Amino acid sequence: MPERAIIVRVMRYKPGIIDPPRFENHEIVIDEERTVLDCLETIRTNLDTSILFRHSCHHASCGTCAMIINGVERLACITKIGYIEGNVIALEPLRGFPPAGDLVRNMNGFFNYYPEPYNYIRHSEMLPPAAPLLEIKEFLRFENCIECGACVSACPVTDKKGDFMGPASLAAIGRELEKSPERSDELIALAGGERGERLCERALRCSKVCPMGVYPAMHIENLRKKRINA
Amino acid sequence: MERIVIIGGGGAGAALAHDLVMRGFSVTLIEKGNLFSGTTGRHHGLLHSGARYAVNDPSAARECIEENRILRKIVPGALEQNGGLFVAVDDKDMAYAPLFAEGCAACGIPIRKISPGDALSCEVNLVKSLRFAYIVPDAVMDAWRLPLHFAATARLNGAVISEFTETVGIDVHAGSVNGVRLFDRFRHKEYVLPGDIVVNAAGAWAGRVASLAGLVVPLRPAPGVMVSINARLTNMVINRLHGASEGDIVVPQRRLSILGTTLRLADDPDDTEVRAEDVKKIVEQCAEMIPAIKTQSVHAAWSAARPLIDDPKASNAQAISRTFDCFDHEGDGVNGLITLIGGKATTLRAMAEKTADLICRKTGRDVHCTTREIVLSDYRNTFRREAP
Ligand SMILES: Cc1cc2nc3c(=O)[nH]c(=O)nc-3n(C[C@H](O)[C@H](O)[C@H](O)COP(=O)(O)OP(=O)(O)OC[C@H]3O[C@@H](n4cnc5c(N)ncnc54)[C@H](O)[C@@H]3O)c2cc1C
Ligand code: SF4
Ligand code: FES
Repeated sequence: MPERAIIVRVMRYKPGIIDPPRFENHEIVIDEERTVLDCLETIRTNLDTSILFRHSCHHASCGTCAMIINGVERLACITKIGYIEGNVIALEPLRGFPPAGDLVRNMNGFFNYYPEPYNYIRHSEMLPPAAPLLEIKEFLRFENCIECGACVSACPVTDKKGDFMGPASLAAIGRELEKSPERSDELIALAGGERGERLCERALRCSKVCPMGVYPAMHIENLRKKRINA
Repeated sequence: MERIVIIGGGGAGAALAHDLVMRGFSVTLIEKGNLFSGTTGRHHGLLHSGARYAVNDPSAARECIEENRILRKIVPGALEQNGGLFVAVDDKDMAYAPLFAEGCAACGIPIRKISPGDALSCEVNLVKSLRFAYIVPDAVMDAWRLPLHFAATARLNGAVISEFTETVGIDVHAGSVNGVRLFDRFRHKEYVLPGDIVVNAAGAWAGRVASLAGLVVPLRPAPGVMVSINARLTNMVINRLHGASEGDIVVPQRRLSILGTTLRLADDPDDTEVRAEDVKKIVEQCAEMIPAIKTQSVHAAWSAARPLIDDPKASNAQAISRTFDCFDHEGDGVNGLITLIGGKATTLRAMAEKTADLICRKTGRDVHCTTREIVLSDYRNTFRREAP
């Protein structure tokens, strides 16, 4: 694959040191098959060890590397350089979470409104055509949502005021409702509370940026209908 | 109780933090990046049944099957428990089968031979010329959320977890460890953290951490490339029925398939080069088991370094055991420093148990390990739920 010279603009922030935040530029040459996360690792290893970002799986499964790439929330680990238009990549941390340092945000509040308990395992939709094996009763898989926070960052309501529980929590409530209909009173009440789905302004940006096809806006609409019909 | 500092927030460090707080120690876990930004988190996510190692590396195989059974009980929420197949595709694989069956029996790994018809009826994307398959108790873990359950439980029980904090020095006085020097990467400041025992659980970086105390440990970073494709083609983990080799495993997860891997030995743990020829080789080899792989485009390709215990006697890299060990550096003149290396993500709990047992012996504490039974707390508790 061809290599490309790019300017990586990273929003830097260290409380009390690089404060207020500002962009810092690094020039690197990188293979177009590599990703924005690879750019950051290259910069950290070779040019500036002080740069901070989160990452773990490198294949869109953990959700730690979500950031704003040229203005849009994306996962750095699957955003290939070849897909970027032009030769500048501007990187900013997610909005809607308290700043921690550089591209890292404090994610502590992320799960505040998740249903409790919330089971991360679900039935697989890919059932075998014939009878399953003796050893395996049914095939299972993880939830699609990797809890990356991209939808929360893109939401104009979470950005404006902090009291909306946000699209990720509502999608989780929606999923739990599909899996455990017997909990419907509790879950519809949770979603219908003061900080819940009533604050959504239907901008639909959550569904647009979600890298995993969770469609939080659809869950929000469903929960809203259920509350009104209840 | 003694203050224990664990260097390295990988699976081993997180499991050790959990084990030690349960035994009553006061624990701080130090990680230079975010949790699991080293090798843990980047691996395939295979919860090994041990079958892969049964022939050539029986001690690792036994560790895997034992831990496989324990993790199913204590962290079911981080596992897709769909089993695995070892598939025989050609004559060479057929010839390996008796050795494989014997090895699994000797290690106590339950396997069952199934006909090509049965295998194809559950896994329609397997190669049609399949000879037969063995079903094994493999499973798939969420490589980030499984160890996160250990961190969450440790935190709820009082462990302190410091992310973005790098260990830059180990203070040794009169042959004993006093503590560590840390660099807070948010505040850009160095400080000292006192500790009675320091555990070096820095994975592939353990050589560098040991050198902070002037020591050498037998660690060999061994990077491997993995490839994900944007399609889930099987329900189960698919392994090639042959001796552990390259490009012979497909681990499905959510809507992805993760293909692996390669193996080379390196000196630098940060050497994570992904060569295009490695990606091509992995795709081609895995497509011998699941031809549809070739019709998919590559979604991501990345590399991670195994923290292998170097073995000068091993004839090649594949022959180095995947077992683990903890080294008490008292004999090297640094009392209170322990290095924990090797192992698999599957054996993180066992690595912790062995190290915590050693710490109990060293401190004269007679407290038993309880981590085989304790069901872990939800991984989301790693993030403090803040009052709204
Ligand atoms: C290609 C590949 C595929 C694999 N597939 C599987 C699989 O499918 N199943 C399985 O069970 N196992 C698998 N493994 C093995 C498994 O991933 C590793 O054995 C395991 O993750 C190692 O965990 P660890 O905690 O020892 O190391 P790490 O996860 O690397 O943790 C060490 C931590 O120490 C930190 N650190 C280093 N230096 C410092 C410092 N100075 N100060 C503070 N922190 C520091 C690092 O940032 C790192 O996070 C695979 C490994 C590879 C390479
Ligand atoms: S719904 Fe999508 S965007 Fe929101 S946290 Fe989950 S995966 Fe991320
Ligand atoms: S690093 Fe895990 S989602 Fe990107």
